[in-house]
Amino acid sequence: MTTNPNVSVVVPMTKRHDDVISLYREYKSGIESTGRSFEFVYVLETHFEEQRADLEKLRSEGEPIRLVVLAKSYGEGTLLSAGFAYSSGDLILILPAFRQIETSEIGAILEAAFGSAHMVVGRRYPRRGSSFNKISSKIFHMLLRSMLEFPFRDLGCSVRAFKRDLLTELRIFGDHHLFLPLIAHIQGFKVIEHDAAQAKADTRTRIYSAKMYIQRLLDILTIIFLARFMRKPLRFFGLVGSVTLAVGGAATLWLIIERLFFDVPLADRPALVLATLMVVLGIQLLAVGLIGELIIFVHARDVKEYMISEIVERPSEITVTESSADEGATLTRLPQKDAV
Amino acid sequence: MGLVRLSVVVPLYNEEDNVALLHRSVSDALSSVGDSYEIIFVDDGSSDRTFDIARDLAREDKHLKLIRFRCNCGQTPAMVAGIDHARGSIIFTMDGDLQNDPTDIPAFIEKIEEGYDIVVGWRHNRQDKLLTRVLPSKAANWLIGKVTGVPIKDNGCSLKAYRADLIKNIPLYSEMHRFIPATMSLAGTRVAEIKVKHHPRRFGVSKYGLSRIYRVLIDLLIIRAVILWSARPILSFALAAAFTGVMSMLLLVYAAVDAAASGLDPSVMLIGLALMFGALSMFLMALGLLSQLIYETGNGRSETFAMLTARASPPVAAAKEGAER
Repeated sequence: MTTNPNVSVVVPMTKRHDDVISLYREYKSGIESTGRSFEFVYVLETHFEEQRADLEKLRSEGEPIRLVVLAKSYGEGTLLSAGFAYSSGDLILILPAFRQIETSEIGAILEAAFGSAHMVVGRRYPRRGSSFNKISSKIFHMLLRSMLEFPFRDLGCSVRAFKRDLLTELRIFGDHHLFLPLIAHIQGFKVIEHDAAQAKADTRTRIYSAKMYIQRLLDILTIIFLARFMRKPLRFFGLVGSVTLAVGGAATLWLIIERLFFDVPLADRPALVLATLMVVLGIQLLAVGLIGELIIFVHARDVKEYMISEIVERPSEITVTESSADEGATLTRLPQKDAV
Repeated sequence: MGLVRLSVVVPLYNEEDNVALLHRSVSDALSSVGDSYEIIFVDDGSSDRTFDIARDLAREDKHLKLIRFRCNCGQTPAMVAGIDHARGSIIFTMDGDLQNDPTDIPAFIEKIEEGYDIVVGWRHNRQDKLLTRVLPSKAANWLIGKVTGVPIKDNGCSLKAYRADLIKNIPLYSEMHRFIPATMSLAGTRVAEIKVKHHPRRFGVSKYGLSRIYRVLIDLLIIRAVILWSARPILSFALAAAFTGVMSMLLLVYAAVDAAASGLDPSVMLIGLALMFGALSMFLMALGLLSQLIYETGNGRSETFAMLTARASPPVAAAKEGAER
């Protein structure tokens, strides 16, 4: 049995990528500067044939690289999950397949991750590059900050290092790898940002497809909803629903009063349709909220809402789980009657 | 049933001044009842020295178990964690602020052994600020009593005792711990109330405020809906669907009659309204079916409550022996 390396570097091969071989050598020298043992796990989809050949070549030269090839494209989150599954280091370092921060900064981030924090995320600082990218990133962070307790300033930076224990504890919501630091933070882990110089190649303007921005926006909405209302759906649906219902009800009432006492003809007023529609919508939202509560209620015992970091008790206690022989002599184990 | 007789669960959040005192007074009260007990402190991510002090205590006292949370997860999760780890056949919960008096515990045990499922403390002489604490709490209790139909005088008192097999199987999440007695009595448990002593806060600050009223109201609505529906979830949705369906039909009939009387085409507006309510009716019916599905696949079914609170007399042969005794 070989001993596990200290660090597993997981690199998901994305559409945006730089030359594999030169980037690998840069990353490697950054990590070697820490003196820790390491392995690289590259995760690719089948169509990256060129990159795969490059990596195979590096492998044949004796580089510590593990290749994971997925048959189909499932998105970056899946690439990462596959990479985690095939990694074995105590610390996992996610690096992008392109130059985002100066590779010389990696050593410092890695060392920070070996400290007391559970996760260290890179932050490109000072941020350069086009104002378009800066502004879209600002809006993205502003949205999150307005709705959540959100201490991060650069979620767009893909450099993240975290301790292996987190993997079993982190519940990842679907394909939301971008929000990994936020999820860890919500679940009570200590996540710190580490400033790193931005790579020169990262400063040029990038404009993504409209689909990408819509996707991002939906991701943000999902995260906010899950983080704030996952355990209390009716607080959200109830609020939206009752406001809609109240506005619609008041409007309907007003229209009826107008019809009855002021002789305003009702039959051809679109306002009536709008008002009634709001009543209907309000009822629907409330009903959906209740359904959400039902789901939570019947599954409440299956999902743990708390995160235990440690349990302290005197070792010679009458525990059932610990039955070490040397302590067994002194303790008086209570008779275990019909424990159903 | 359990491995020990009593478990006392105490959630702690920034109670560094109270921990040691609390531990001593609870220990004193419990050891007067017998040796078969455990105390479970749950440190809910305190930022002060609560954990350090409690850890030192736990290393000395074999009865004390300390659970530390990674974050401030909330009071209900803290209670749930304690309850999950408790091994007693009677489980107590209390606050860590020394406002409850552990010397009341023996009276609670007596009540549980009389056959009650839950015993709730009633702080009949509350030592808190009248305007911000006592009055809102009075209003909340009145409201909870009205909504659930079970008048419990003091839902907020955290000194409570439960039969372990019951509380371990009850859905408990979000901030539901405040409503355990109300929830449980809706589910058919036997709830007893006894007067308890109440002390003013000696150290630290209170962690409650007025802001919780909105949340209390919503939670109350949820509990009522969920428990009352648990027998036949589809029923209330079906009722609402029937109501809107009838409304839709009436509107349609009215439109038809109106059109026949006047000889004109039926009013688009009326037909539109009728169809809208018809759609709502269908939607509600669909949700009713969905709710049935959720209950069937989940573990919150009414039969569970029924079984938890059922009391069977001893088997026939044993009953005879009992009668002779």
